[in-house]
Amino acid sequence: MNTKTSQIDVVQTSRRKVLFASLLAFILAAAILSVFILPAEFNRDPFGIGEALGISGLSEPTIVSVETVNKEDAVFHKDSVSFQLLPFEFVEYKYPLSKGASMLYHWTVGGTPGGKMGAVSFDFHGESHEVEGYEESYSEGEGDREAGTFIAPFEGIHGWFWANHGSEAVTVTLNTAGFFTESLEFRDGFVKTQVMK
Amino acid sequence: MKKLCAGRGSRKRFSTVNSPIFYLAAVLLLAPVCAGAHNLSGANARFVEGLDGLAVIPYMYLGAKHMVTGYDHLLYLVGVVFFLRRLKDVVLYVSLFTLGHSITLMAGVLLEWNVNAYLIDAVIGLSVAYKAFENINGFKQVFGCALNPRVAVLIFGFFHGLGLATKLQGLSLSPDSLIFNMLSFNVGVEIGQALGLVCVVVILGRWRQHNSFPKQAFAANTALMSLGFMLTGYQLSAYWWA
Repeated sequence: MNTKTSQIDVVQTSRRKVLFASLLAFILAAAILSVFILPAEFNRDPFGIGEALGISGLSEPTIVSVETVNKEDAVFHKDSVSFQLLPFEFVEYKYPLSKGASMLYHWTVGGTPGGKMGAVSFDFHGESHEVEGYEESYSEGEGDREAGTFIAPFEGIHGWFWANHGSEAVTVTLNTAGFFTESLEFRDGFVKTQVMK
Repeated sequence: MKKLCAGRGSRKRFSTVNSPIFYLAAVLLLAPVCAGAHNLSGANARFVEGLDGLAVIPYMYLGAKHMVTGYDHLLYLVGVVFFLRRLKDVVLYVSLFTLGHSITLMAGVLLEWNVNAYLIDAVIGLSVAYKAFENINGFKQVFGCALNPRVAVLIFGFFHGLGLATKLQGLSLSPDSLIFNMLSFNVGVEIGQALGLVCVVVILGRWRQHNSFPKQAFAANTALMSLGFMLTGYQLSAYWWA
């Protein structure tokens, strides 16, 4: 059994034929790589042939204005709010945003005067106006800051839940700019609506 | 007898489907036809990342999809079964390959090996070239000795498995149900491999019945070797520039 290694038939070849075939295979591969694949896939054009063939940069991302610009009818608003949270207090602050509307945000946690910097539990999420009871979390965890851009995935109210699980009072400061017209603050069982000026 | 064969051959040459060129084209084009989906694509990746816990079917599907659309694995299998006439041998070699890639797939994921996906894919490209070179008896002709092909298929199986592991690790798996999701992926890989193999074995079987097979086999393996070099060059370029 072990002497019959050639259960595989191999084609009858000669050393010359094999060397020629290998060289051919290598040259063919190198040629196709440098003429087609490198210019098209990696925008590298060692011989300038890719440029001549018009395939250079084929897989470069194209600039699509429809995707990058999302026009809005109204002006954007800026908002800046602070919440003092005693230990075990929590607050929710949200903006009604239509689908595709965007917002820039950053929030930081500062200690109370004399206190230390503390972290809060946060949950950046949205509640749908279209589907009853639908909620989605975008970003959640423990932290003392977060900044980012947000594009509303659906029409609804979108914003933050912050809870102070520490033993010191903290202040959460939120700064936003976006295509919202009002804000909703949920605290101690009350909802406070504020229209943007 | 010879006349009979020639007559049979010339009659067949007129049929497009039975033309030897058809088999050459079919085998070499079979895999790259569904090219472009080699990495687990964005939407699929986001979908499984959104899943928590056990997800047998999605991972199984991804494993199968990766294999069926992963032309590097398929090209290697084309090389492996190219001269295997007997089903017994096909099963033996493919089992060794499966053993090899399953071991490193699981070890890579569980032990969190950080292997560069491009470099491992470059080695997988070389495995295609190696197998094609072995098929044209290159090692005996040029170097006077050759590694046992069964040992080689097991060793390259290890590398293919590392490649599979990097794809699965790229999905940032949730730690819960990791083992079962990974096993599901592995089972999917074997299903995809079986589907690809059936096509390859059937086409090769019919191609082998042609008189011109030996001559074309040499050309086909030269082409296979070239594709292997191309895959290697592509992955190295991606490593340097992507």
